[in-house]
Amino acid sequence: MAKFTSLCLSLFLLLSAPLLFPSSKIFPYDYKIEELENGLKIVSIPLDNPNIISHYIIIRSGSRNEVEPGKSGFAHFFEHMMFKGTKDLPREKYDEFLTLLGAGTNGYTTDDYTCYFVVFAGKENLEEVVKVEADRFINLYYTEEMLKTEAPVIEGEYYASVSSPGRRIYELLRDTAFEKHSYKHTTLGYLRDIQDMPNQFEYSQLFKKRFYAPDNTILLVAGDFDHDQLMEYVRKHYSGWEPSNYILKTPEDPIQTQAKRAHYDWPTKTLPRLAIGFHGPAYSDEKIDKAALDLLAEIAFSRSSPLYQKLVIEEQKCLTLSASFSDRRDPHLLVFSSIVKKDEDLTYVENEIFKELERLKEESVSEEHLADVKSNLKYSYSNTMGTTDGVASILARYINLATDPGTMNKLFNLYEKVTTEDIREMAKKYFKKTNSTVVTLSGGKAQ
Amino acid sequence: MKKLHYYSLSILLLSLPFITMSCGTKADPNKLSSELLPLEGNPLVGFRILLKIGSANDPAGKEGLCQLTLSMLANGGSKSLTFKEIQKKFYPLAASVGLRVDKEMSVFTGQVHLDNIEKYYAILKDMLLDPGFRLDDFNRIKTNQINFLEKTLVGNMDEQFGKEILNLLMYEGHPYGHHEAGNIEALEKITLDDVKAFYNEYFLQGNITVGLVGGYPTEFPDKVMEDFSSLPEGFTPKLDLPEQRQPNGLEVVIAEKKTPATAISMGFPVLLSRASDDYFPLWIAGSHFGEHRQHVSLLFQKIREERGQNYGDYAYIDHFIQGRRKYPATNYCRQQQYFSIWIRPLVNSNRHFVLRQALKELKKLVEEGIPRERFQEVQKYLLNYTKLYAQTLGERLGWQIDSHYYGYGDFLEEVQKKLPTLSQEDVNRSIKTYFNSNTIYIAIITDDAEALKNALVANTPSPITYANPNMPKEILEEDLVIQTFPLDVRPENVRIAPASEFFLKAGLPKTE
Repeated sequence: MAKFTSLCLSLFLLLSAPLLFPSSKIFPYDYKIEELENGLKIVSIPLDNPNIISHYIIIRSGSRNEVEPGKSGFAHFFEHMMFKGTKDLPREKYDEFLTLLGAGTNGYTTDDYTCYFVVFAGKENLEEVVKVEADRFINLYYTEEMLKTEAPVIEGEYYASVSSPGRRIYELLRDTAFEKHSYKHTTLGYLRDIQDMPNQFEYSQLFKKRFYAPDNTILLVAGDFDHDQLMEYVRKHYSGWEPSNYILKTPEDPIQTQAKRAHYDWPTKTLPRLAIGFHGPAYSDEKIDKAALDLLAEIAFSRSSPLYQKLVIEEQKCLTLSASFSDRRDPHLLVFSSIVKKDEDLTYVENEIFKELERLKEESVSEEHLADVKSNLKYSYSNTMGTTDGVASILARYINLATDPGTMNKLFNLYEKVTTEDIREMAKKYFKKTNSTVVTLSGGKAQ
Repeated sequence: MKKLHYYSLSILLLSLPFITMSCGTKADPNKLSSELLPLEGNPLVGFRILLKIGSANDPAGKEGLCQLTLSMLANGGSKSLTFKEIQKKFYPLAASVGLRVDKEMSVFTGQVHLDNIEKYYAILKDMLLDPGFRLDDFNRIKTNQINFLEKTLVGNMDEQFGKEILNLLMYEGHPYGHHEAGNIEALEKITLDDVKAFYNEYFLQGNITVGLVGGYPTEFPDKVMEDFSSLPEGFTPKLDLPEQRQPNGLEVVIAEKKTPATAISMGFPVLLSRASDDYFPLWIAGSHFGEHRQHVSLLFQKIREERGQNYGDYAYIDHFIQGRRKYPATNYCRQQQYFSIWIRPLVNSNRHFVLRQALKELKKLVEEGIPRERFQEVQKYLLNYTKLYAQTLGERLGWQIDSHYYGYGDFLEEVQKKLPTLSQEDVNRSIKTYFNSNTIYIAIITDDAEALKNALVANTPSPITYANPNMPKEILEEDLVIQTFPLDVRPENVRIAPASEFFLKAGLPKTE
């Protein structure tokens, strides 16, 4: 028997309500959440977008779950193994099914979750998609030989971006800034661990048992379908899936007490790069910290900021200047980064960023600028949600964090409450020199 | 204008029974044309200001001028506002001006909420019709363009670098034969006066199509058309392109750099475009052989899935740029097209084997055609997959523009009509007509280029090993054939140059 926790009080008034009664929510769609007894959560968003359905399966495991030594990159590797089929529907048959469906399909792995999507036309195909995907997640089957053949693909994926200095500097930043937490490595993992993946068949079975279970999974469906019909299919095909009841303990990073620094010599000519990370808070739709920092990032480092205008447009020292404060389940990094035009300007740009952070501790930002930032955030989000897939892909990021689409509205309500004083307080709290990690990359010496 | 609350836009986008009436204008070639796709009630408005010119219009010795000029409009100030002021005004609207430059077509793009249409358009109009052409913008944009070629493309993005070398090789001496960003020697000589002159020469009414999509007010297109009618009348005739040079056997260019991984792109000109009826059967063949980043690709199955060689392997029957998700981007229309194969980076030790494998598969396709079962599968696949192509405002208008360029009312509708009428024989006939496996341009980025050249020329066997000690017998047997598959590479057809020498001057670097 399913546990019903409807958060949708209104009927589906998608056809007319919004024009007459403008919503006050950034995520304006009606949705339902249900949970099966085995813990599988279902988020359904029926939308009047004719004939297109986005079917997402979100496993709340990513590289964050790679807490054991030598296992970096394993969540991503396992994402690849999830395409190997089952005894009833081997890979070739699964591929044939997707081919005939004409679906847009793939998977991706992040720090916190792994997502598998099938975007397709025709609601008459929904049951078959639910059935085939349920079979894949419950009955995945592969041999050790199949794993050994797939493992080098990851090495190939690593090589696909081996010429990217952006990836290298980000790897170095995380590796330097974190001591113990699994955020220390990227989702792709260390090359040495990737090269050992062919030997990890047994661990892969353990990984599946722990994390590929209904109590760690959210099924998200958006588009042209009937909710009750969807639930009938889901109960029929997912009820036999056993929960794992596994509780992950991620190691806590010690509080950083000394500034850190690292440099990477890139072998060929490249524009020099700089990244500065500060340990920051985890995602929250209740505490003001992360919301205030999100706004700070925009105020101080977006295209409209005085520092961007100075370094990128006026002085032309930098090609790019940006801030990235990722939403993560555990405390992560607040990162400022820049592609600089000349090696000799790296120090200058670094000093300018630190000076700006000091200024934010001393001076309040203007109310006008804060209002512009809030406006930008709202329009930016709204711009991206014009398709079922746009809705589903944005929502996947948030329901991984809080399991409820309503978290987006709560977050934006928090943004509305952030004051200039909150921003000053957060700058003081997080942007201490002793909490910083500076990494640089420059190249061309080998040529 | 009635203001809509911006929070409501997402619901509106998906929910309202849009009243859709697409239309395009074609009249006097000296005057403006338009592509309109009104979606009544939609709270967003998309802009596409299309230019029927591109990098193929660059004067010789000034390669990169088209992109530099158009970047001055998209990323520089207008007469009334500096770029700094523009960014400040755009920011609260979450708006910007995008730019894409291709060989014969360029497009400025933008999207805003209906709330902001007037504010946005007033700025956009001045950026395009009354550009500031300031020296500091020029210096910034030109430096960025040079840095992109010299450092980013050559040093930091080997997959794209490989595709661009293929373009240099395939179109040597042809108006398509340089990167849209040009080359460093030419860029260093280009002056602000060159930019102004290019703008004056090509910003003619007849070269411009105003594209609008979404819930704009009924009278809005007239206003835009009136504003853009301030441009001089006239048009630039479509380029009279020379015949595409077919490869002389297997022509290889190797860019050498210190790298653990090899990137490969290869291809040859094909004498058809989307306008041809033959495009549809050949599309099925291309999708079967190498659909972009989808499991349906045969190359993907053989090279990645069966052997774990790299991240993916694909093929295209015309110029392909990835758009949202993995669907094709629009507004890259060209008169001349080419077939290409993209082998994603793989360990250097396996480069010869995989090159052989891809060409062996191509040979098999040319000789044996598409199997009947696969034909039926891929036909159905494309019928369904193409239904996902046009979802966003930009995609919908983009496909409308491309449809009209190639002479269709609605190309995606045409797909639904044409594909079901095709037979396996149609596909195989098109393969025989347009594909071959003997004359191919091959671009490679790798380490120790001389060793690869020697191995290619001598047809040295190229066995590979697997982490899996129990590889299926049929794959190992097939490998024995692949590892000695003969490639007719003549030494005079292999050119090697250091990666750092590409894009310094026009064309390919001089080689020994």
